Amino acid sequence: MPIYRQIIDQISYQVAAGVLKEGDKVPSVRELAAKLAVNQNTILKVYNELCRANVLRIERGDGTYVSSGKQTIAAAQRKKTVSNVLREAAVRAVHLDVSLEQAKELLETEYQAIKSARNKSE
Amino acid sequence: MGKNAIEIEELEYSYGRNQVLKGVNLRVPAGSIFGFLGRNGAGKTTTIKLLLGLFRPDAGTCRVKELDSQINPIIVRRTVGYMAEDQQMYGWMRIEQIIKWVASFYPNWDEDFTSRLLEMLELPSKSKVKTLSKGQNSRLALLLALGHRPEVVILDDPTLGLDPIARKDFLRHVIDLLQSNGVTVFFSSHLLYEIEPVADHVAILDKGVIIKSAKTEQLRESIRKFIFTPKQQADFSSVPGILDLLTSGDNVSVTLEDCDEQKRAAIRRLSANGIQETALNLDEIFEVYVIGNRAKGKRE
Repeated sequence: MPIYRQIIDQISYQVAAGVLKEGDKVPSVRELAAKLAVNQNTILKVYNELCRANVLRIERGDGTYVSSGKQTIAAAQRKKTVSNVLREAAVRAVHLDVSLEQAKELLETEYQAIKSARNKSE
Repeated sequence: MGKNAIEIEELEYSYGRNQVLKGVNLRVPAGSIFGFLGRNGAGKTTTIKLLLGLFRPDAGTCRVKELDSQINPIIVRRTVGYMAEDQQMYGWMRIEQIIKWVASFYPNWDEDFTSRLLEMLELPSKSKVKTLSKGQNSRLALLLALGHRPEVVILDDPTLGLDPIARKDFLRHVIDLLQSNGVTVFFSSHLLYEIEPVADHVAILDKGVIIKSAKTEQLRESIRKFIFTPKQQADFSSVPGILDLLTSGDNVSVTLEDCDEQKRAAIRRLSANGIQETALNLDEIFEVYVIGNRAKGKRE
């Protein structure tokens, strides 16, 4: 997986789980690049992409913040993104002989865990 | 001022009868972090030494910030911060002494900046160089390369012999100190996983020529591997830019360069049924170019 994808996933996860809350300031491009030892352009790309997904919000000359999360992307597009990831999970499940029921159960557990982490932090 | 910080044209160099560089062409955009890849003995260090005007090339030219390394070697070396591979420093000097000594060679040495660097890189200024650890040693070499605030920094395998944490630490400093200030960084390495997150451009040197030079992202996007069952009498020569072709049983795996929709369609026409497309990581890309290059050399 490309590095920028990995960072996008990590930030998205932290926002979803409520570790990062709405209005929290995230590190500047420069700070995060130095912290992770990755090129600044990579972080810039990450932030731009997360802005488009409305996870973050860039205030010019001020900083980057966690956004309200109101969806600007069409529902169809959002579904497609999730379905892409689930396809990968489905392939693994078939190969490793995990039944559909078991897979559904696993998805549910993960979903609930993130939701409850989020509620606790609120 | 040009857009390129470094320009190398048709550079050739031999050690005796052994021709190491056979016409190297390279452009390093100003402000980029440029990863210079190659196996051991590919000619990376030789290229860098020619760039600094330390050797005289058999043919070709190299320029740093539009200055010819042969005509103006002193000005070039003043413009550039250079950290040699496994840099040797006088062990009997204390850190503060070696800094003063190196500073005396540069009219534009920045003392304030150096003392800030000393603190940031956590170097004990009273210690003797011979007592330093490998990590401290390379941080000191970096400090000595940056003290005159160069616009172009050339690092020859800077993380050689460092442990993974020290390596990451070192690269963190490079990004924080250099990229943030718009300095061009040209660094050689044979460790691909190290270059991948840091470099925005990469070039691959093999057998004395540059076999690929591109933006890191672009390189990853444009090289694709297809796995499928080919039709009977499928003609692979109809698809240009095949880097690698492997057959296993009924399946073939084809690696394509500069992949676009047109090439995808051409590959699809060769397949008997479905097709699987995957991206390669930088390690695999390097391998496919270098090994492909070797195979081509044998055929010719």
